[in-house]
Amino acid sequence: MMLPKFDILTIEQVDKIHKNSMKILNEIGVEFSYDPVIEIFKKHGQRVEGHRVYFDPEFVENMVEKAPSQFTLHARNPEHNLVCGGENIIYMPGYGAPFVYEADGLKRDATMDDYNNFVKLAGASKNMHMTGGTVVEPTDVEDEIRHLEMAYSHIINSDKCFMGSSSGYEHAKDSIEMTALLHGGMDVIKEKPALICLINSVTPLKYDDRMLGGLMAYAETGQAMVIASLVMSGSTGPATMAGALSLQNAEVLAGITLAQCINPGTPVVYGSTSAVTDMSTGSLSIGNPENALFTSASAQFARFYGVPCRGGGGLTDSKTVDAQAGYESMMVLFAASTTGVNFVMHTAGILQYYMAMSYEKFMVDDEIAGMILRYLKGFDCDSDEKMAFDVIEKVGPGGHFLTQKHTRKNFKLEFFRPALSDRQSFDGWSKDSLDTNQRAKLKWQEVLASYVPPALDPEVNEKILTYIEERSKELLKK
Amino acid sequence: MNAIFEEIKEAIIDGDEELAVELAEKVVAEKIDPVQAVQLGFIKGIEEVGKSWTNGEAFLPDVMMAADAMKAGMDVLEGVLAAGEGEGSYEDKGKIVLGTVEGDIHDIGKNIVGALLTAAGFKVYDIGIDQKAEDFVAKADEVGAKILAASSLLTTTMKSQKVLVEYLSDQNIRDNYKVIIGGGPTSKKWGDEIGADGWAETADEAVELCKQLLN
Repeated sequence: MMLPKFDILTIEQVDKIHKNSMKILNEIGVEFSYDPVIEIFKKHGQRVEGHRVYFDPEFVENMVEKAPSQFTLHARNPEHNLVCGGENIIYMPGYGAPFVYEADGLKRDATMDDYNNFVKLAGASKNMHMTGGTVVEPTDVEDEIRHLEMAYSHIINSDKCFMGSSSGYEHAKDSIEMTALLHGGMDVIKEKPALICLINSVTPLKYDDRMLGGLMAYAETGQAMVIASLVMSGSTGPATMAGALSLQNAEVLAGITLAQCINPGTPVVYGSTSAVTDMSTGSLSIGNPENALFTSASAQFARFYGVPCRGGGGLTDSKTVDAQAGYESMMVLFAASTTGVNFVMHTAGILQYYMAMSYEKFMVDDEIAGMILRYLKGFDCDSDEKMAFDVIEKVGPGGHFLTQKHTRKNFKLEFFRPALSDRQSFDGWSKDSLDTNQRAKLKWQEVLASYVPPALDPEVNEKILTYIEERSKELLKK
Repeated sequence: MNAIFEEIKEAIIDGDEELAVELAEKVVAEKIDPVQAVQLGFIKGIEEVGKSWTNGEAFLPDVMMAADAMKAGMDVLEGVLAAGEGEGSYEDKGKIVLGTVEGDIHDIGKNIVGALLTAAGFKVYDIGIDQKAEDFVAKADEVGAKILAASSLLTTTMKSQKVLVEYLSDQNIRDNYKVIIGGGPTSKKWGDEIGADGWAETADEAVELCKQLLN
């Protein structure tokens, strides 16, 4: 049994924010730059002026209702199939960072080698359910073919689910085609969705061509998508929490409505990464209580609309793996996990508000994720053995439990076993005196060195490699 | 000293755009010396805001609203200043064309840089988002700006910054301008690689960079 998830908004507050969002959608509208999308909304009878769409609230509610409350995302190894929605939680690495920060503070451009390494670390981790997507921006691979190389990394380095490109219709189509080859054909994945992508609005109240093209490609083929809004409260959105949440909610509902217009029943995830603007620098700030509140409120709104939720992560503004990185990450990931987020991009590796990935941070977050997964399991009171009356009776007053079979069996089932935290005595620790950052560095090197990627059927591999080769030629010619 | 100068200064400090425009219109209508209005009113006000920012007392909304008020008021005075009315003349610290590169529609970071440059006494011409290399050059030539400041938030649009530098070289006008770049995924290394004259990570650093380049 999983812990029951708690609400942070009252029913009255949910109602007020919902109505505010509907008023935004109806009276202010949302701008969609992509012409095919404008045609779709016209066809569905929405008021359109230029590229701005004014939504009928009832229409939005009806379309959102068509989205499934949960769905299964299929992995090449069925043991790694994931149910997205309900009580489930899915963790994966950070997404989209252009830089890698090393343990000694060095900042450098992320490369394809880093990409493969993070996919492998996620493949090896028992706390990461997926290998994620765009785990870094591999800046040493040409832009035109980056999406092909990235998708292949997930395919060859792990047999867990992964995310595909949403960078325009064409790139999205490539990711979907490659996934179809992996799973035995487009018909197979249309029936059993195997790919999910991230569609972001441009706050306030816009969607751009690139993302809308991606959205269309995924919706047409019945693949899943996260539709997310990142309101930077104070700059791209109002500085009040209720206002920013209303704005985010309007944007996400507009995106979900569009996906359902294109393909009713297509799996979507309600996404939020809203946080605040640092008013001294203008930069995004994500390691804070406001982000935790936005995340938890988003989970509640996703429940309200009957769709799965994406939000949170091991999020921090710190530039290095220090105490700030730890406490901020724990706060946001804990809030997301205990209030019902289902899909957690950025669970592991992020430093400095999504700007960088760090191997050491990945290991720290992996540890945090393990702790939270244990916490979510709560208490098991289902059997006499778990209630332990017999062994308490056997030991009696004044004895100890260390030599009981009950103990030897159950501590392994019930206790979280740290992979990174140090629980030694002072003397034990002081032999090497390693802090978390230093221990994490040793740990990821060890994990990478011993990781063996699960074998991929050579015939399938050949087909995918041929696809990449042909598409690369075409794309680089342009 | 005419009391209106103090009112202008206060309007800028308050970031009151409407009042700044109203007072500027009054300067024109009542034939008050516009150069003095700029120097004793607008500039005194923005200097004050700039000082508070440097001391950590002012926050972004304070600076950005003050910069907007300054720009709106100065626009009203442009005609009379250009006509050479008033005692002496008014010189800005340098002219800068600022924009987000082609393919990119993010503008908040750029706007912050614009506001801080304005607060530091530069004259900023913001050409907006999704701007081609030729748009930067056209504006710079129109107003006589020496610095082209190009912003990009996406890894996919960074290459438009490179396109800007290449365009200048192709047109044989590279030496006429200083190109500075910025934005989330950019770095000093990227700036060096594409041959930009400077890169800044934050808006404050962009101000310092412009001071150095125009010295």
